Amino acid sequence: MSRKSERLINLTIALLATKRFITKSEIFKTIEGYEGNAESKERMFERDKDDLRSLGIEIEVGSFDPLFSDEAGYRIKQERYQLDLGDITPLEISLLSLATRAWQGASLDDAAQRALVKLNSLGIAVDEQNLPDTVPFFSESGIDLPVITRAIAEHQILEFTYRNYDLSEEVRRIVPIGLSTRSTFWYFTGVDQDIEEIRTFRFDRVIGSFAVKKGPKDFETPENFDSKEIFEGHTNLRAVVDIRHGKGRSLRALASSTESKGEWDQIEIPILDMRTLASLILWHGDDVYVHSPIELRESIIASLKELVSAHG
Amino acid sequence: MAKNDQKNSASPLESTSRMLDLVPYINTHQGISLVELAGVFEVSTEQMINDLTTLWMCGLPGYTPLELMDLDFESGYVSIANAPTLAKPRSITHEEGVALVLGLSVLRSAISIEREDLIDAIESLSKRITELVNLPLALTASSDLSHEVSASVKKAISQRSGLKIAYHSLYKDEISTRVVLPLEILENDGYLYLQAYCSTAKDFRNFRIDRIQSAETAEMENPSKATPENPEKLRYEVRVVRATRDVAERFAESHLDAGTVFKGTSFSQQWISRSVFASGGAVELLTPADIRSDISRRAETILNRYER
Repeated sequence: MSRKSERLINLTIALLATKRFITKSEIFKTIEGYEGNAESKERMFERDKDDLRSLGIEIEVGSFDPLFSDEAGYRIKQERYQLDLGDITPLEISLLSLATRAWQGASLDDAAQRALVKLNSLGIAVDEQNLPDTVPFFSESGIDLPVITRAIAEHQILEFTYRNYDLSEEVRRIVPIGLSTRSTFWYFTGVDQDIEEIRTFRFDRVIGSFAVKKGPKDFETPENFDSKEIFEGHTNLRAVVDIRHGKGRSLRALASSTESKGEWDQIEIPILDMRTLASLILWHGDDVYVHSPIELRESIIASLKELVSAHG
Repeated sequence: MAKNDQKNSASPLESTSRMLDLVPYINTHQGISLVELAGVFEVSTEQMINDLTTLWMCGLPGYTPLELMDLDFESGYVSIANAPTLAKPRSITHEEGVALVLGLSVLRSAISIEREDLIDAIESLSKRITELVNLPLALTASSDLSHEVSASVKKAISQRSGLKIAYHSLYKDEISTRVVLPLEILENDGYLYLQAYCSTAKDFRNFRIDRIQSAETAEMENPSKATPENPEKLRYEVRVVRATRDVAERFAESHLDAGTVFKGTSFSQQWISRSVFASGGAVELLTPADIRSDISRRAETILNRYER
């Protein structure tokens, strides 16, 4: 049996039950477990406070009598301690429980399970009749996601080494503003502090780990940023290409418009990254023909020339 | 990982956290069995008894029976009384909030737009959770799974019936229709696969569920004993012209330098050819010779179209 956890629980109960701030000497006098001389009690209490805070419990420090403010008092506010999501319906509880299942085997599985226990403790019946029949899965991100989300919430700087297209490695410093996943890949978007532009990075191209640094004081998330649009393109640049009828499904999946021209269809694709698109177009061989933009067309022609001369 | 969990489960902080969550859980699940409770909290029954024994000594200052919580678990079933201070569950942490919001987002991406009831409920929940844990509204997740397809797949598995699927082969860039007998859903590298007996290949095959375009129940004969048509693996050799990230990821080769030659195998001639094309001149295929000359010929044909 752990004396330490017993003391922590008793401290939590006492601080939760009190309406006014209670002082350290009151705590030492009434709460079981604080033993030894004044100094060791003091040290014990300091550590206990840190431990409870590390569990996410907020301890308020204040004075119960402003006229005699020489001794600080402590308390935990019920409304900050307790889970309050407003009125929750059986359908909502069931959706949340389904949402936690998406993490099975992936990075936030433990956190999802802990959240589920708390939600189930609300004692609300479930409604499994109306649930969707599909539960998608997360793939393992290989990265501590809360590091990113905390940095987003607090506008911190993330410093990391990134593998560039030419395989060179570069240190980037960004203030992250969005986190997303599509297919199996995880991405984060941020404002690059050196070039002051929005960039999106793929997690599996980060080498090593993130260093979290204090962010710029006056940081503001760019107004026009919407994380839902990360995969729809920041610019209005579109590629116009012909695709043979019935072919090129993976290109068609990216299209913003399609127009049939008999044997061929003409589609428009928002350009997120010119090289990725060029590569996908080349993958489809003679089933695709690029009209514009000219840079894309020329890059395809240059690649084809290289392919001919290398393999001829 | 299971081992570590067991070890950590006894650390004072872990158990404090767990005990704080135990009280509200027992409160709404009065009479739950010790074994089931240990299962919910993913600890051994012994550890659970330790936790409950510690909790039994806790309460408000004074620590007389009047102030202590009233826990009963000797019968093997757990109930609690006199624990009003801890009766409500703790608020969720930042990390737990992230898990919930992203989980809801990915769930939403797989729900058909007609289910407005579900989409509204998800939006409202996400909003409440982001406010509660001070989360940015900048988390999105999506899944390529078609809800109709996975519903049919699951139904076929549970009813042991055949399934007619339209499957998009990425290498051939073709949709083929085949009748399969679904066995189970597997996960690998973040993708979901349907393992099934395929009547076309007369063998077991894995199909990526996100590439199944449509699926409907179909008559299926019993798996035949005929020899499966097992394709042979092709060996290939590639020389690096320019080291790019694209080549490294496509061929799963981590160390690349211009001039180096690496070898690999593939079931598909198309995959080899398309991968070399997609590398756009950054690699040169050395062997097999027939694919090599085919690449040169096809690249020339496409080039002619551009230069016309």
